[in-house]
Amino acid sequence: MFLALKEIKKEKLRSGAIITMIVLICYLIFILTSLSLGLARQNTAAIKSWHVQRFALNSNANTDMRQSFLNDDQLGQLTKNEAVLGQGSVVAKAAGKEKLSAVFVGLKSNQFIAKNLQLTSGHPVRHAHEIVVDDSFQDKGYHLGSHLRLNDQKQRYTIVGFTKNAKLNIAPIVYGQLSTWKTMRGFEHGPSASAIVSKKASYRAQTAGITTYSTKQIINKLPGYQAQNTTFILMIAFLMVISLIIIAVFLYILTMQKMPNYAVLRAQGIPSKVLVGATISQSVLLVIFGLAIGSLLTAGTAFAMPAAVPMAFDVPMLAAVGLGLVLMALLGSLVPVRSVLRVDPISVIGG
Amino acid sequence: MNAISLQNVSHTYGSDTAQVHALHQLNFSAQSGTLNLVLGPSGSGKTTFLTIAGGLLTPTTGGVTIAGQNYTTLSKKQQDALRLSSIGFVLQAYHLLPYLKVKEQFKLVSQVKKTGNLSAAKLAEVLDMLEITDLLNKYPSELSGGQQQRVAIARALYPNPAIILADEPTAALDSQKVKVVGQLLADLAHQHDKAVIVVTHDPRLIEFADQIYDITDGVLTHKDTVQA
Ligand SMILES: Nc1ncnc2c1ncn2[C@@H]1O[C@H](COP(=O)(O)OP(=O)(O)O)[C@@H](O)[C@H]1O
Ligand SMILES: [Mg+2]
Repeated sequence: MFLALKEIKKEKLRSGAIITMIVLICYLIFILTSLSLGLARQNTAAIKSWHVQRFALNSNANTDMRQSFLNDDQLGQLTKNEAVLGQGSVVAKAAGKEKLSAVFVGLKSNQFIAKNLQLTSGHPVRHAHEIVVDDSFQDKGYHLGSHLRLNDQKQRYTIVGFTKNAKLNIAPIVYGQLSTWKTMRGFEHGPSASAIVSKKASYRAQTAGITTYSTKQIINKLPGYQAQNTTFILMIAFLMVISLIIIAVFLYILTMQKMPNYAVLRAQGIPSKVLVGATISQSVLLVIFGLAIGSLLTAGTAFAMPAAVPMAFDVPMLAAVGLGLVLMALLGSLVPVRSVLRVDPISVIGG
Repeated sequence: MNAISLQNVSHTYGSDTAQVHALHQLNFSAQSGTLNLVLGPSGSGKTTFLTIAGGLLTPTTGGVTIAGQNYTTLSKKQQDALRLSSIGFVLQAYHLLPYLKVKEQFKLVSQVKKTGNLSAAKLAEVLDMLEITDLLNKYPSELSGGQQQRVAIARALYPNPAIILADEPTAALDSQKVKVVGQLLADLAHQHDKAVIVVTHDPRLIEFADQIYDITDGVLTHKDTVQA
């Protein structure tokens, strides 16, 4: 520690250069992690807000709620732990406002999802032409009492309430009645819902042509969800590897320059472990300095970021990522440590 | 008292066809309070001798006793500790850590060897003798070559070793500086009771020596006539 601190202090330019690189990498990793988490939440926020454990879909729907239609017979007997919902993509339009792609979710007012919906303002849906929409509609200029039309329907709907975290697959949700969903879809005499959801993990749909999935299975099958997560994980992993290489290379160069000095110290009887300790703590200290500055930058970014950017700053998650970088520092220091262990004191004797 | 002794030491570099017999059946001992000069031409085995005496190289055959301990039978850790407490190297290349101030060079040693180092008063005396007292707060890059060498010597003396080993300490020095270094090494022996061993090809150091040895082709012989 003593040697590492003294060296960082004396060699300000070199240390500054490494720290700057680590700051940039760490900032990039933090931002990507937050973006990844933010997007993931926008995919799943609504599903999470329903607190359901199971989804029952049409067996031919390929685990995709958008493709699932259930008829009355398939719905079968439901307890108070189950609810049905009808889902469909809609475009919301209103005079003088830009069009909004949204997801319509039709609910039965007497079932738990509709009953438990947390409103930030307004009141729940009571009539066929009332809707409760995601808070993000407010950013687009909608307010309580605003009217809008869905798709090419003539019918106008009135916003009677706002709710937060109503996002499914990155689109904001328009909550309405299940009967409205049927009308909108033109299914007067056809299917009566997209899915059954249940609060109970033990729930199994018993009727024919219907399959029960866990919420996790449904989320993983959301269009693009896994591809997006995989992309982010790959990018973050690559950045980790890059940071590992940068740390290893820089530290290796710095250490090689000190070899004659270390050789003299070894000749004099200073144990290898002191020099190894100096190398490792130098690496870890540099990364910790970099992390500290990177965290400050990230905190500043989180503060300044407009709400529309889908970023979620989750401290435990970022801390875990930071710990990953410290691990990279430890790993990276192993390369120069190998050389330190091999330093030959005889090399500085003689002349 | 024998501070250091080598018994029947032979050393061979390489193997098979590329063998170099650097030292032959060498016996040597040095007493505290004496300056021992080992003179020989280039390639005669001086550095090999010094690295074996300093415990950095294990001889092919023979034994090394340092401060009463059979060095070759010690563990690596014990060897490090014994070198740190008993041997001070005075090298041609000083290689002071560039990011430590002069005073911190001593602190590094005291962090590893916590006891038995020079007291503050004794260290001040040594710094005074070496004329580096004013340099304590400077970095090596702010010092001249001679000042760096003296700092390196002070660092070697700080753990209060009984033995000082020097390899060609005057290699690149003019006669004036040779006298300074020679006197310093003699002072370490006579005033600080160290066993000082200097290997060199530089006959200008003869006048400071108590014991003189000749080494040629790896064979060491004691010269009876001291003082030129
Ligand atoms: N690492 C080594 N490998 C092979 N031969 C060596 C090695 N070191 C020294 N020698 C040989 O051993 C002999 C003695 O070398 P050295 O002890 O360095 O002599 P000096 O210091 O007197 O010049 C020389 O012939 C030299 O070439
Ligand atoms: Mg030599």
